Amino acid sequence: MRYIIPVKYRIFKHALQSVCKVSVVFRRFNYTCSKLVVPEAPSDKILGLNDLFKRDQNKNKVNLTVGIYKDEKGSVTTLLSILEAQKIVEKSNNHDLSYLPIAGHEGYRKAVKRFLFDECVSKGEIIEQERISLIQTLSGTGALAITSRFLSTFVSDTVWISDPSWVNHDNIFEKNGFKNINHYSYVKNGILTVDEWLDDLKRDPGKDKSTKPQAVVLHACCHNPTGIDPTKEEWERILDEIYNLNMIPIVDMAYQGLDTGNLKNDAYLLKMILNEKKYKSWSNGIFVCQSFAKNMGLYSERVGSLSIVVPPNSEGLKKNIDSQLQKIVRSIYSSPPSYGSKIAYSVLSDPILKEKWFQDVEKMVNRLTHVRMEMHKRLEWPDLINKNQQHGMFYFINLNEKQIKYLRDKYSIYLTLDGRMSLSGVNSSNIDYVCAALKDAIS
Amino acid sequence: MFEDIPLLPADALFGIKQRYGQDDRALKVDLGIGAYRDNEGKPWVLPSVRKAEKLIHEDPEFNHEYLGITGLKSLTDGAAKVILGEDSAALKEDRVVSIQSLSGTGALHVSAKFFSKFWPSKKVYLSNPTWANHKTIYEVQGLTTSVYSYWDAASKTLCIDGFVNAIKSADEGSIFVLHACAHNPTGLDPTKEQWVKVIDALREGKHIALFDSAYQGFASGDLANDAYSVRLGVEKLSEELPIFICQSFAKNVGMYGERVGCFHIVLPLKETSKTLEETKAAISSQLARIIRSEVSNPPSYGAKIVAKILNNTELTQQWHEDMVTMSSRINEMREQLKNHLTSLGTPGTWNHITEQTGMFSFTGLTKEMVARLETNYGIYMVPNGRASIAGLNTGNVKYVATSIDETVRQFST
Repeated sequence: MRYIIPVKYRIFKHALQSVCKVSVVFRRFNYTCSKLVVPEAPSDKILGLNDLFKRDQNKNKVNLTVGIYKDEKGSVTTLLSILEAQKIVEKSNNHDLSYLPIAGHEGYRKAVKRFLFDECVSKGEIIEQERISLIQTLSGTGALAITSRFLSTFVSDTVWISDPSWVNHDNIFEKNGFKNINHYSYVKNGILTVDEWLDDLKRDPGKDKSTKPQAVVLHACCHNPTGIDPTKEEWERILDEIYNLNMIPIVDMAYQGLDTGNLKNDAYLLKMILNEKKYKSWSNGIFVCQSFAKNMGLYSERVGSLSIVVPPNSEGLKKNIDSQLQKIVRSIYSSPPSYGSKIAYSVLSDPILKEKWFQDVEKMVNRLTHVRMEMHKRLEWPDLINKNQQHGMFYFINLNEKQIKYLRDKYSIYLTLDGRMSLSGVNSSNIDYVCAALKDAIS
Repeated sequence: MFEDIPLLPADALFGIKQRYGQDDRALKVDLGIGAYRDNEGKPWVLPSVRKAEKLIHEDPEFNHEYLGITGLKSLTDGAAKVILGEDSAALKEDRVVSIQSLSGTGALHVSAKFFSKFWPSKKVYLSNPTWANHKTIYEVQGLTTSVYSYWDAASKTLCIDGFVNAIKSADEGSIFVLHACAHNPTGLDPTKEQWVKVIDALREGKHIALFDSAYQGFASGDLANDAYSVRLGVEKLSEELPIFICQSFAKNVGMYGERVGCFHIVLPLKETSKTLEETKAAISSQLARIIRSEVSNPPSYGAKIVAKILNNTELTQQWHEDMVTMSSRINEMREQLKNHLTSLGTPGTWNHITEQTGMFSFTGLTKEMVARLETNYGIYMVPNGRASIAGLNTGNVKYVATSIDETVRQFST
């Protein structure tokens, strides 16, 4: 069901057969074909569902697939703080449409570094110690892609990803040089399975991690797709183990602010990792892949960053890493797109505007919490409002594929097949309809 | 391991920019930059871009929702028409797969990933010399590159025989990266007759042509003229072979920082067992997978601007005029530089300056001369003698000419 690629490959093989008559291609093809087992990309799934949704004639139809924030009226609007920033950019610094430097907009890079490492986690001293190599990236995906390109070149080609995870995670690491992609247990019946998670990290092929360090992807908050995060105590256990195994933490920070409504609070995982009293030195660095797509609503402008934090007392290392990151960027796209970074920079560099942005984020989260509460009133499903478990924009619903299809066929309510439901698509005009349908589907 | 990561040398152009910035001489000239400057030496926002921006901001529908993985369709459709021509047979026959890319580099990179996956043993031929990044883009993906002769340093002309011979002696089915127009760094393009020779040789060897089109319309001010090689290639080569096109809107729209470009694959005309639709779907799915693994989906702002320009008759017209404005200023500067050098009697020939086209001139100045120009006169250019003509204006062209004159005389015995 999930593995449809072989068919695609067959079609493509014929396509190429027609395109060129070089036998080498086919040998390679068969080889590729037999070696590659890739799950269908989720966004294709999502886009496919969107097409179905568009064609659906039912006037009560509801789209709960895409991870984009929608307001109470069901529309995608630009945050007030971002609207202001757009005006500033229009008026002031958008007269120069030159290339940004390879590493990105300089003001933006400085502001993001300050925001993440000083304001959010109070670790300004690592900035002063010149231990953070930060580049502007094409949102979270771009940061992850460059991370995997970099790590697979110099440090490690083995990574651990949660099961389930954002499905593009596998694809990114696979396409950017990683040979071993392993999965650690994450949830069972809607409950986080920390013991199994840690057992997985310790088992083969993960035994000898000192000579060949391995990377592990951690969702900073609002785990995608489950919405279930470890508690602080659980995180401590997890980090202790990861540290003892000499693993490389890759912090995927895509939903900062959308958990508690407070951007600073939501950086807790990064803060815990950077506790140098406890974890003296992450000897192969800490990788922070951060995105403003969701919390600034700048989805399509592709604004994010990759920070690599080097261990204490590693003089010169940051400079070397800077140079290598630039080489990678140069060969993929030369320099990043500027518009989104100018907007984010305007927000981050102006204290008043930044405060407004904080409020915008809080407002989004308040609405999502309200949706959870209202759904709980109607459904009485305890995990909807269990703050220890379910966070953010998504609600991981305990329905099987058959039930999800039933929702689509009978009610025109669209969810992705893994049971991820985007809560921002629910509002007062459709909540009764959605909840009644869910009740029906479950029985 | 982590602590053993080596330091790479800084980008040469970045060094130039830095030294230029720190130079406090009143009279200094930056001929390093690869971006258009107006006669005051300032970056220029095209009026068509300004108008498009305004329309976009006024549109109540303007938001930041994700584009599809393969990009904004109104951009990719419009862009295909720009490069292939409104009445392109390939477009009428619906044989073109187009996706949005992060400008030219992004398109080249996607081609490199595509080649390394499906044609890992094909050799990629690059012109000698070529844009410094070409080699890296392909080699980073594990492909082997080689060169074809292009520039004859002694005569400062195109080495057409060497070029054609390289094509003839390459293994059948090799990949040739061709500069569609305004060759970087030499600024020297084949004539129309020479292009016919090149394309015919490619056809004979069943080679794959990849056109890197970074300066369409910027070079001559005329889109069709600057797409001559591409359209000829599509016409003569696409019977049996696919053609790849990497298209950038950085220079011709003057929007360098927004990374707008497209990657097109023109499929062969020849009938196959698969329907065209199936072939196109398969290729799109492969390209989408590459995009998805690196950027998820492309940036939208610049794409919306270019799409607006391409889909609004008035703006399209304005854009055409804007390209004429840029190209004629550059050509005027070429003319003036050459005339000054000729009237000064500077040793050597200088016709090549006006025979070359696009942003750059491959001046023929040696590394030592370039260094002297920087030290003694505050004139900055790449050590290989590549000068960005966009850095010249009526206020500095004479100064540059006399400085070159003095420098060349120092080195001529």
